[in-house]
Amino acid sequence: MADTVATEPLIRVENLRKSFGSHLVLKDIDFAVNPGEVVTIIGASGSGKSTLLRCMNLLETPDSGHIWFHGEDLAADRVNINRLRERIGMVFQSFNLFANKNVLDNCTLAPITLKKMGKDEAERVARKNLEAVGLSEFVNAPATSLSGGQKQRVAIARALCMKPDLMLFDEPTSALDPEIVGEVLNVMRDLAAEGMTMVVVTHEMAFAKNVSDKVVFMDQGVIAEQGDPQQMFTNPQLPRTREFLSRYLED
Amino acid sequence: MERLSKLKQFILSDHRYVLLGTSVVAAIGIWFSMQKRSAMSFLRGAYALEVVMYWILIAWLAISAVALVWKLTHWEGDAYQRTSPFTKPAAKRILRYGSYVVWAITAVLFVDRAVMGFLSIVSQSLAQDKNPSDFLSSIVYMLDKSYDIIGRGILTTVGLSVFGTLIAFFLAILLVFIRIQEVDRCDNDFVRFCKRFGCEFAKAYSTIVRGTPMMVQAMLIYFAGFGVLRNSGMSVSEIGRVWSTFVAGLVTISLNSTAYMMEVLRGGIEAVDPGQNEAARSLGLSQWQAMIKVVFPQGIKNAIPALSNELVVNIKDSSVLSVIGVFDLMFATKTVVGIYFKQIELYVVAAFCYLCLTMVASWLLGKFAKHLSVEPQPLMSVSDATTTVGTVAGTGSSEYSLDKKKARK
Repeated sequence: MADTVATEPLIRVENLRKSFGSHLVLKDIDFAVNPGEVVTIIGASGSGKSTLLRCMNLLETPDSGHIWFHGEDLAADRVNINRLRERIGMVFQSFNLFANKNVLDNCTLAPITLKKMGKDEAERVARKNLEAVGLSEFVNAPATSLSGGQKQRVAIARALCMKPDLMLFDEPTSALDPEIVGEVLNVMRDLAAEGMTMVVVTHEMAFAKNVSDKVVFMDQGVIAEQGDPQQMFTNPQLPRTREFLSRYLED
Repeated sequence: MERLSKLKQFILSDHRYVLLGTSVVAAIGIWFSMQKRSAMSFLRGAYALEVVMYWILIAWLAISAVALVWKLTHWEGDAYQRTSPFTKPAAKRILRYGSYVVWAITAVLFVDRAVMGFLSIVSQSLAQDKNPSDFLSSIVYMLDKSYDIIGRGILTTVGLSVFGTLIAFFLAILLVFIRIQEVDRCDNDFVRFCKRFGCEFAKAYSTIVRGTPMMVQAMLIYFAGFGVLRNSGMSVSEIGRVWSTFVAGLVTISLNSTAYMMEVLRGGIEAVDPGQNEAARSLGLSQWQAMIKVVFPQGIKNAIPALSNELVVNIKDSSVLSVIGVFDLMFATKTVVGIYFKQIELYVVAAFCYLCLTMVASWLLGKFAKHLSVEPQPLMSVSDATTTVGTVAGTGSSEYSLDKKKARK
């Protein structure tokens, strides 16, 4: 949270540029996340916010620029991205649970494979994380048998099992029914309260306003405005931000 | 069990169409009765009995005809239901018992004419010392004289296709793995070169093998192997022991099937949601680990129905290997044709054998595929599945989790 801000940012994006074909999606993005901070990225569809997030663990390869994380540049050629990804958890809009595995195996696959953790130890960690997201009785269920909200909570637990320093959320509630959104947001709120560093791309403005330490508004491939949520949601500086947030500014 | 109770119901309940349906059976029985009796016919000595049976069948047809006329003349509304003597419950029950009699008579006539007739043809042609001119007798005679040749052919065909398909399956998994490699950022130059080269090799292999006939491939492989061994100074009889036509045929069918199976596997793997790979990579798994642990198991499962079809194709396509002299069913049939010069009869037998083999193969593979697609479920215990998935779904479980969290804090 805000009082734990350190001098050195955990991840720092510098002059990041990314295009799909001739379409420039990210135009020289500069942006940093301090340890323990919760940053939400908001903006219209197509403004480049998901692409920025996906660049931060190199699921999209940037054209130019730097992404500094633990003293290494993720965007540099031939960096060992796999080792660095172990420390960056990611939660997807469409959950992406491993369909050929049950809930527990979804959570233990990466720790066993990458951290050379014993099966018992990995399962202990997985059960602890599954309990934290309220799914301890589903450990043996096949991943495909769960509801959307349950799947997303398993996906969060799966990412947590790697004990990441940073969690990326790519519209984690956009594929869920409105009444189920709450159960996932509650888990994320708990996670923020525990001091996890999080970058969240979302359309849930209440979450952005109440939980995050910093709100980033993206528009047409650039960061149009950023600041603390109180200021962004009460007194945005740019007309474009004001227009985008108009529905939420009234109350 | 359900099928059994259905059958029981079919036999024991009164049916609307008992007259019509059983008339067809009766007509078949009458047709059998008009056929010539064979030497082994057991009704040969019971002429009076057969006349009685014949007239019972005729009587059934007559009753049905009366019922039909009645129906046609009382077409309007429920007139038939009200007026016809055939719709009374007692009459319906009598008709049902009558239909049992008709079925039994037809069955007896079928055994007497068809089964005993076939058996007598068999026994007669087995006793012949010369190939009979009659179609069926000739087939029986030739099969009796050369069943060892045909049998050996069938065994070779089964062996070639089963082992060929199995070998091809493992080679195809290997090859498709090479085929779908992509250069990753963290690869060094050597790995990059290997991946590019492997991918191009797999593409070229698939194009060449799928673009040339298996008959030509068989010739090339057999004679190339033969030539290499000959150059190394082996005698023809020594080569025959190592590089037999069967081995050459097995190599051909394996290498050929590998290319097709690779494409099938690639289709199955590409059908896996790319999000699966992304999720695995986002956790830090390498391309290799993500493939092995997440994408491949799902892709292979997708491909199993199409893969098992490959065995059926191989059973049939192994017939072209007869050109290099593999003693498969086709070669065996040709051999027997060479002895008796009865082409139609023997190729009908060969077609029938291939049909039986492919039908048995696809039946077994169907059971196998069903077994595989059901199997992943029992990972969870049955009680788990019903209670947890059924009752604590959706918002209910979220309330539960919140309660627990409150308690924890």
